[in-house]
This record gives sequence, structure tokens and C-alpha cells, in this order.
Amino acid sequence: MAVEFKLPDLGEGIHEAEILAVKVKEGDTVKEDQPIFEVETDKAVVEIPCPVAGTVEKINVKVGQTAKVGMVMMSFITDGAKAEEKPAAKNDVAREEKKEPVAAAAKSANSESAKVSGGSDHATNGRVNITGPVPAAPAVRRLARELGVDLTQIHGSGPAGRVLNEDVRSFAAGKLEGRLTTAERPAQGQSAAGKGDDKSSKSDKVAAPSLKDKYGSGDGEKSGGAPLEFAGGNLPPAELPDFTKYGAVERVPLKSIRRKIAQNMTIAWSRIPHVTHFDEANVTSFEPLRLKHDDKVREQGGRLTLTVLTLKAVCSGLKKYPQFNASLDERSGEIVFKHFYNIGIAVATERGLIVPVIKDVDKKSIIQLAQELKDIAEKTRSGKIELDRLQGGTFTITNIGAIGGTSMSPMINYPECAILGMARAADKPIVVAGKIEIGTIMPLALSFDHRIADGAEAAYFVRHIIERLEDPFTLLLEA
Amino acid sequence: MPRKSIELPKIEYLSILNENGELDKELEPKIDPKGLIEMYRYMLLARRTDERMLLMQRQGRCGTFPQSSGHECISMASIFNINKDDWHVPAYRELAGLLWRGWPLESILLYWNGFEEGAAPPEGVNDLPVCVPIASQLLHAAGIGMAINMEKTEKVVMTYFGDGASSEGDCHEALNFASVFKAPVVFMCLNNQYAISVPLSRQMACETIAQRAVAYGMPGIRVDGNDVLAVYQAAKEAVERARRGEGPSLIECLTYRVTPHTTSDDPKRYRSDEETKEWVLKDALPRFAKYLDQKGVLPEAKRLEMEEEIDKTIKAAVQKAEVMFQSDELLNPLHMFDYLFADMSPALQEQRDELAEHFKTKGKDWTNPQKKEKTPASPRA
Repeated sequence: MAVEFKLPDLGEGIHEAEILAVKVKEGDTVKEDQPIFEVETDKAVVEIPCPVAGTVEKINVKVGQTAKVGMVMMSFITDGAKAEEKPAAKNDVAREEKKEPVAAAAKSANSESAKVSGGSDHATNGRVNITGPVPAAPAVRRLARELGVDLTQIHGSGPAGRVLNEDVRSFAAGKLEGRLTTAERPAQGQSAAGKGDDKSSKSDKVAAPSLKDKYGSGDGEKSGGAPLEFAGGNLPPAELPDFTKYGAVERVPLKSIRRKIAQNMTIAWSRIPHVTHFDEANVTSFEPLRLKHDDKVREQGGRLTLTVLTLKAVCSGLKKYPQFNASLDERSGEIVFKHFYNIGIAVATERGLIVPVIKDVDKKSIIQLAQELKDIAEKTRSGKIELDRLQGGTFTITNIGAIGGTSMSPMINYPECAILGMARAADKPIVVAGKIEIGTIMPLALSFDHRIADGAEAAYFVRHIIERLEDPFTLLLEA
Repeated sequence: MPRKSIELPKIEYLSILNENGELDKELEPKIDPKGLIEMYRYMLLARRTDERMLLMQRQGRCGTFPQSSGHECISMASIFNINKDDWHVPAYRELAGLLWRGWPLESILLYWNGFEEGAAPPEGVNDLPVCVPIASQLLHAAGIGMAINMEKTEKVVMTYFGDGASSEGDCHEALNFASVFKAPVVFMCLNNQYAISVPLSRQMACETIAQRAVAYGMPGIRVDGNDVLAVYQAAKEAVERARRGEGPSLIECLTYRVTPHTTSDDPKRYRSDEETKEWVLKDALPRFAKYLDQKGVLPEAKRLEMEEEIDKTIKAAVQKAEVMFQSDELLNPLHMFDYLFADMSPALQEQRDELAEHFKTKGKDWTNPQKKEKTPASPRA
């Protein structure tokens, strides 16, 4: 009678083995326990002894081949009288049956019958005919869900037809390939977005890539963009309830600065997808510096403040991260990078918020900035600020520190890309080398246009500013 | 206030029958011939069973298992000193001892084929099942020893662990408490110099494991782990001490794991063949056989007869076990719930019922009690 020898699980959870040597030939007479194969698994090189005495009928594997567990490697002709041969063959089946109900139980939610047909179905390719739940580990099932692959369509290459990770991946890859060859191409936007992400994550490390490299090249100075389209642009003015039903009201026309602010904020809020990034600067070292130099600055008509220093630090940051000094041109579909650094300072006045601009911050010394800051602040508050000093800003700083608050979510000064909010620098307990000390901490909040810049870039940009606030000497090290 | 040395006990090394089969007559323990033959037989039975199981594993007829070849001497020569109602708390290379205690060969085959029924100790001996989680059995042993003291009986506990286990916290806790509470435990360390692939030199920085006994305040000795007479003698003294109420002992048996760690291991990846060959020459069985032959206790002809008898015994057991593997009685998956608690917890019972129900929908009623009522083995002191 014929007996088949299937590759057993030679280790714990081994599912295949490479054939290193076949030690018998077809037609050979073999004794029980005589070596028939040498195989290598993930874990060890092992010799496989012959399970029966008899004649080698057929050898199904060659040296160098990888055999799956359960594959019939060799068949023998025996006289059928050998004591141990029958249980040996049955044992395999018995154990399989033992495993099967347990596997099925684990998938009790799927109540269809799980019948793993054992025995000779393994013979040809290690696959099994399956109806009902597909044998696959939870991680494999998850992968299949993620890739949108139907497990029942996959022929598992694992032991007893189990579907493996590789099976799911190669099936998914095959599906994708099929789709691509049937004339569909992946959406252009997707691949471009992927590229952009890739680069932006490295933006701090790669030495200054050209803007066109980073944002994709246009064909010329003017062309290359396309207008952005928005769904739902012009909303009709909103209706209010009749407040007089509840009490006395007074109606005042929206005029002048208040009207302008309302218009700007509506545009900014409805046009720009805002994101606000928060961080803290430890400015403990600034106060001694200020005390030391403030008199000299005052003599020249300015005041040495954190805002002055922040102007310098922001300017440095804008040079390194030009996207925060840019504007998005919705009509042309282009990003407009500005090669000048005009920083607006939000000033609260009795009539409302006004943002005078300090031009060419990069070209001015700290003393000059201190003088100009004092000048524009005073002129703005007294309503004497010149019109041309209210225009042309590329970035805005707002400092609410004099009033209070722990932080804020500032709104972008349209059409700029970003605004930096400075909150009050206050003494706080901080941890220095494992000990609690008192430090002067200034919270910072950067709101930015997420169409132009990403969160990681914002984080790098704010860190760049903080490094300069914490150690102003760093500014001197810059060209 | 002088600076002076604290006197500590010295650690002994004991060898009686060396690797060349040379005997130290003065140290030779008195063991009656019947006992000597019995020890040899069970060591040989364990060796041949182990070899048989390896072949079966390669043929897909046995699960993964740790080989015990080369460790028979430690198990057999120590366990031989205790009585049936003493406690045997094995790790997983004590095949010889288990067989001598009366564990059927079929149980061993069942166990390593994944049938929990194979872990049920035979009637009439106080044995715990094979313990795979490293060093955990030592705590059981220490606890049983403390219980024996509370019950004021004179039983002793014989427990086993490896050099790898000696690095685990459980080992420390067990040795310390056993010593503090004078628990009658004999701690047998099978120092086979490898914890899977980790050599002894990466396991500990001290010279011996035995010297740790000093720290725990118990007697410690290192013996040649391939010398039946030395292991027997050291274990005998330790058992006597324990029975006298003098507390635990630590016996480090120096040997070598000539086999892979388990059937899944490939020692070629971490040690040389030369190293292994050297130790194969120090094997306990040939030197013990030579001793028995020279003593006239077991002449070669008798030994060959014994080989034949053992061969037949194993063949019969394999055949019996492989029939058992197919019985519904053993294949019943509901059994996996049955042996953890004396009284099953409601949550576990619920799971068992759910699984049983599931199989019923598949047309297989595993709850159908054509099986005889099985009670889980619950060892009592």
C-alpha cells in the first residue's frame, strides 16, 4: 500500500523548509528511520528520517526547492503490515482535525461552516479547498481590510491553506497592476501631494532647496498656475432675530476702522484655512540684557523690548522659511514669495485694531527697530500714522502681553500667510536639569495659512524664533 | 574596630566515578545491585525514548520538545533518594525521573503532542507536571516545602532547574524563602552551560552556582553531573538533612547540553562541534555501564537484553499513544477548559459552553458524555 510523507512543522510555527539533500532515489528500498532528506528551516538544519519501511515510489521535491509544510515530499510502497505506518499517516490528519475546530472557534462570529479538507488536497500545491471562513491570522485580516482585499479570493500559501501577509500583499499588488494597465492612472494630485510631503518633512535639514524645487516648477514667471475654485463663495448676509423683543437695543453704523476690520477678518476667516501652533520661549536671559542696555537705547529714542527682539528673530525665521512670508494667489493658482520683510505690529487703539508696518526689518539694526517701533506705536495710537506706513506688510506680530492672557489664537492679517502672537512673559516654575527653577516664559502662538505651509514647518519656524529669543547672540552669528 | 574577614563555608566539588570510569573506592556509596540496575534501566529508557521522539518529531509525529539526553543521570540519581509520597517538582529535562516515578511513556508522548491529558501525574506519587516556564517551579517547590513544615510531616521536595533559571528572580525568591523557613527542599541545578544559546559566561560572573547557597544560608555543593554516584551521594545527604528538619540544600550538577535546546533549535549557530564532542565523551551512561559491568551487577549480555526490552517497550508505547491521539476522548477541545481550576470559574464555564454550542451547530456534540468522568489531577500533600 502507498504511504505519503508530508513535510511536518519541524520547529515552532515553521511553514516552509528548503531541501538541502535528498538521500534516497525512486525505487530504493528504505528502512524505517533511515535518513531521507536534509532540510533547512528558519530555525535549523535537520535530517528527516524515513517514517516507514518499504520502497520509494515517488520523490516530489528537488534539492534547492522550498517545500511548504503539508506538502507531500515523497511516497512509499509498503507491504501494509508495518506496525507504525498507519497511525503515522492518520496522526497527521488527526492533528489537523484537532486544530481545525479551535481555529474555527476563534472565528465564531463567522458562523458559516469551516471545513478544511485535509489529506491529498495538499498534494499539488499546498493549497486547500475552503468553504466558509478563510484561515488567516488577525494581523492578516486587518491588512486585507486595509488594502480592500477579499480574503476568500486569495489562495493561502501557508500551512493548511492559511493566508499569509505576503499573499494579501501580492494579491493587492496584482489587483493594482491590473487596474493600471486598464488605462486608469493614479490621480495627479495624489502623486504631487506625496512628493510635496516628502520634501517638506526634510525641509529643515536639506540645504535651502529652490522654491520651485520645493513647490513644483512652473513653466515661467507668470504661467503655471490655475485659479483655485471654491464651493460656496458669496454667502448672503446673515439674518438676526429681533432683539427688541427681549430689551432695549441701540443700533450704530459699522464705519471706519471697525468696518475695515470686520471686512478683513471676514475675508481672512472665510478664505484662509487657519491653523495655530503653540510654543513657549524661555526668555529668562533677556531681562538682564535689557537692564544692561535699555538706557543706551532710551537715549536714542527707543525702548529695548521683547517685541523688538522678536522682530529680528521673526525676520531671521522668514528668511529660512519663506513660505511664512508668502501669499497664495487664488486667481493665478500661485504662491507669491516676497523677497522683502515688512513686519506689521498690531496696535490696539481706542478706535480699534490698527497694524502699522515696519519695512525692511532685515536691513535695520535693533536700535533702529526700537526707535521705529516706538514711533509707529505712538503715532498709531494718536491717529497720526501715515497711510503708507499701514500698507505693504508681509507678516504680522501681535503682542497682548501688556494686558494679560496665557495664549491666543490670532487671526491672519489677510493676505499675509501668518501671524505671531506674543503672550505675557511671566515667571513660571520650570524644570532645569531635573530641578525646579524660576524662569521667564513667554507663550507664542503662530496662526498660519495651511494652504501654503504645514504644521511641521510651523513648528520648525517657531523653534527658530525661540532659539533667537532665548539666546540673542545667535542673531549675530547670522549673515 | 578592626577590619577582619568573615568566615564563610567553603564550596565542595564531588566526583566519585570520573569520565574514564575510574572509581574513588573510598567515596563509593552503598547502593544495592537491584537499585543500581533500576537506575541504569530508567536512564537508558529515557535516553532511547528521547531519541525515538526526536525521530518522530522530524517525521511530524511529535510536537516540539526539549531533549533530555545527557541529563538522565542528574534526574535519576537524585530522585532515587526520595519516596513515593515525597514531592517531585520537575522542570522539563527530568524524563528519567518521571518514568521512574511511574509516568507512563504514553503520557510523555501525549504531553509533547499537545494533549493536556499527558500532564496528569500517575496515581500514587506526589508529582507536579512538567514545568516549562523557567524557574516558576522553584516557587511551587518552596511553597510545598513550607506546607510540609506546617503539616509537620517528614516529606521532602526534590526540584530541578537549569543554569538559565538561576538568573531569574523566582529562583532567588524560592531559595531565600526555603532557607528562611527551613523548607525541606532539595534544589537540583542542571548546569548544562547553555540557556538556549546563552553560554554560562554570559549568565553569571561567579565561578559556581553552588556558591550562591552560602548567600542563602544553606549547604551548597557542585558535583559532576554525569557521575551517577556523585549525584546520588550529594542528593542523599541533602534529602537526609531535609528530613531531619535542617532545611534546604543546593546541588549544582555540572553537565553539558549535548543536544539542541529543543527540536526547534540549531546549536551550530552559537557553539562549535568540537566543544560538544568533548562532552559527549563524558556521557554518564557509558561510564555507568562500565561501572556496573566491572562490578558484575550488569554484564554486557544482560545490558543488551535490556536494550531489546526497552526497544520493545517504546515501540508498544508509541503504537498505543498514536491510537490515543485519534480518540475523541483526547481530541475533545472542551478539555482545554477543564484542568486549570478545581471549580471552573463562571467566565471560563461560559466560554466552554459557547464553544460546545458552536460545535453542536457543526454537528459535533463534544459534551456527549460517552467518555468516562474525568477528574483533574489535584495533587495534595
